Amino acid sequence: MNLSLNEIEATAKKAARGAGHTWGIAEEAAKATRWLCSRGIDGCGNLARLLTADDVETGSSLTLETDTLRSKDGSLCPLIAGACIADRAEVFGSDGWHLQNVVSPILLVPFAAQIATRAGQSVALSASNFSAVTDGKTLTLSGVWKEHANRITLQTTNETGETSKVCTRANPDKRDWETLQSLAHRTYAPATEASRLKGAGAGMTDND
Amino acid sequence: MTSSQPHITRRPPSQVMRLERLGSLHQCRLSFMRILMRRLAEDNWRFSRPVFDIDDTGVGSAVYTATGPDRSYSLVAFAHDLPDALRSDRVIAEAWDATFALFDGVPSPDDIARLKQNVPRQEAGRITGSELSLSRANRSVRLWDHVVSALAAGQQPDQSTIEQVGYLMRTTAVYGSGKFGAADRETISDRAELHPPFQLEMLSVYLTRTFVRDLIEHAAAAKGGAKAAKLDASIARGLGIGNSTGLGMAPFVVNHPVLFNNWIMAREEAISRARSVMTASHEAVQIFSDRLKRSVLSVSKWTSEHPIQIRKIDALRDDLRRLNKHFEQIDFANAYPWNQMMIWAEANLSAEGQELLASLILEPYPELVDGLADCMADDGAEVSSINGAMPIGDMRNLLEASFGWAADLDWQDPKNCARAWYVSEEKLEPRLGERFEEPIAEYEQPLAPARDAALAISDLQGWATTDTVADFLLRHPEHRHTVRRAQLSRIAPYGEIRDNTISHDVLPIDMLRAKLSFFGATHFDPRSDRWVRICMFAGAPYPEELSTQNADDWVYPEVAL
Repeated sequence: MNLSLNEIEATAKKAARGAGHTWGIAEEAAKATRWLCSRGIDGCGNLARLLTADDVETGSSLTLETDTLRSKDGSLCPLIAGACIADRAEVFGSDGWHLQNVVSPILLVPFAAQIATRAGQSVALSASNFSAVTDGKTLTLSGVWKEHANRITLQTTNETGETSKVCTRANPDKRDWETLQSLAHRTYAPATEASRLKGAGAGMTDND
Repeated sequence: MTSSQPHITRRPPSQVMRLERLGSLHQCRLSFMRILMRRLAEDNWRFSRPVFDIDDTGVGSAVYTATGPDRSYSLVAFAHDLPDALRSDRVIAEAWDATFALFDGVPSPDDIARLKQNVPRQEAGRITGSELSLSRANRSVRLWDHVVSALAAGQQPDQSTIEQVGYLMRTTAVYGSGKFGAADRETISDRAELHPPFQLEMLSVYLTRTFVRDLIEHAAAAKGGAKAAKLDASIARGLGIGNSTGLGMAPFVVNHPVLFNNWIMAREEAISRARSVMTASHEAVQIFSDRLKRSVLSVSKWTSEHPIQIRKIDALRDDLRRLNKHFEQIDFANAYPWNQMMIWAEANLSAEGQELLASLILEPYPELVDGLADCMADDGAEVSSINGAMPIGDMRNLLEASFGWAADLDWQDPKNCARAWYVSEEKLEPRLGERFEEPIAEYEQPLAPARDAALAISDLQGWATTDTVADFLLRHPEHRHTVRRAQLSRIAPYGEIRDNTISHDVLPIDMLRAKLSFFGATHFDPRSDRWVRICMFAGAPYPEELSTQNADDWVYPEVAL
């Protein structure tokens, strides 16, 4: 599969919506997935696994304490948690944030990049076995990224990411892409003969 | 003398962004076709046809290459033998008379072979980052047959038959920016020739028009042999490329608020600059007079079978009579004559007439207007990150600036939310349905910013003005897209339509018209309340005729002396 990043973004948005996210979070999913793909990271695979994982926070039981974000039931969704802390980029203090129990944690990296851009300072994202540093544009990934993290810390740092390659195409795994497409499909209304005629307004001849 | 310091302010969004006015916009110097044509002429682009491999049945392929100062672009065209029964302009069609891709550079035989496997299948095929657009066209059967028969017999086609249709083929979709595997706009938007919006799509249609002319002469020669005639150059010049545009374009203007803002803002800025000209030179008045006369002729040839458009064309003809009379009485020695005309028009003309005048007063001032073409792209990311630190008081003000009127509407009244925008499973066609009659509400697309803003304004009640957007969104994630749009409105004051897009009487053709006017279309012909026929490049010089003398005013038909 060789895809344009606009295809990635459009499908990621619909897939997140199809999986039950609000339109606003679906927009975040689309941008985050594109951001990862543009840096050669498998955004589609991570999004597909997130959107099909069981027991993930949907936003209603998110708990925000002084510097810790957790879910009262289930794991944290990196899209919802990422948006929540990105919304607080202006008050991103030296203590940073601690996130507990996160699925597909690499999807937090684009939000760290948003925070770095808004705060004008690099952000380090670290778990026990892996970490990332970004200033919004550059990125360094270290360690082996897992599909789940018990605890992740985001803090400002004086390090800068390496200048990372910028990719203009993405090559997702075929099954991951099909997963996203089937989720996206949930946003389409089944066609009826009435809607076919009426909905697109083709009452008059289109052929002369 | 012209003043480049505008002192007449831009018209406010509350006036400009009403659907009735957007549905009355006319092409102007900033239309995308005219931006392209000026550049092709000024930069002395060269054109060639390295491949024309079409057989006597009209089937085969051709390549048209346009070469500018820095690079080349090639239209790769495939001509097909389409049975009449399969010819449809709907997006659900699966076969066409001709299919095209715009190739980035000059295609090799291998590229053409690869495209031949994919381009004729359109949405069912795949193109690559080497292609910039994918499109298709269908014949106007009655005009095609008439022209082929006439030319084959060594005669020219009948002028009035030509004028009734206006095109030999009409495109039914031109896909760009990453669609079906094409290159993303982001990868090419730093090229000067592609920076203004839709330039590669316009180039594709312009080259398509040349291909269609060559194809019909080829068909006539195949039928008539040695006695077949070539199409008379002036008849050929009058032919454009038709276009059928359906609902897909309406969501575009809602989904790209910054881009749409930049188009409207550029035109409004141009209008304010022309209105701020203190003294109109004799030459400027002559140019205006010429374009006005030619507009009268253009409007006289505008026909439509749609009752709403018939009324609007009638009103526009009345407007033009009044405008002509008014123009004759103006003393151009008075200060700010264009501004005085615009003020007069607001009291005396319909929205069609007002907007035609607004476009016409730009004509004498290329030096004030044309540079704005470079401000019409959206160079930032459309979905910007949200500023969660914004106080609720500021958020409320932003929402009310664009949608205060919507908060007062009764959104429980079925009339005000009768419609819902959705995407059908079938070929992913955007549609507008009846919320209370069809099972579509759960599939609704976020294309009712006014309704959504009203809901957010309602949920903001009880929040202190010093609370933050971040805390509001934690409690109300469903308003996230609305909050984002509201924050974008700070940089995009013309980004929101100030009307209800799901009302029982909304006319999607108003949104289509707004977009198509920026393409440079004329003679809008709605075929229902939700799709419209237009003609593009009618009157334009063909590549071998193009010069800086004829690159810009071709959109206005020549008045016979």
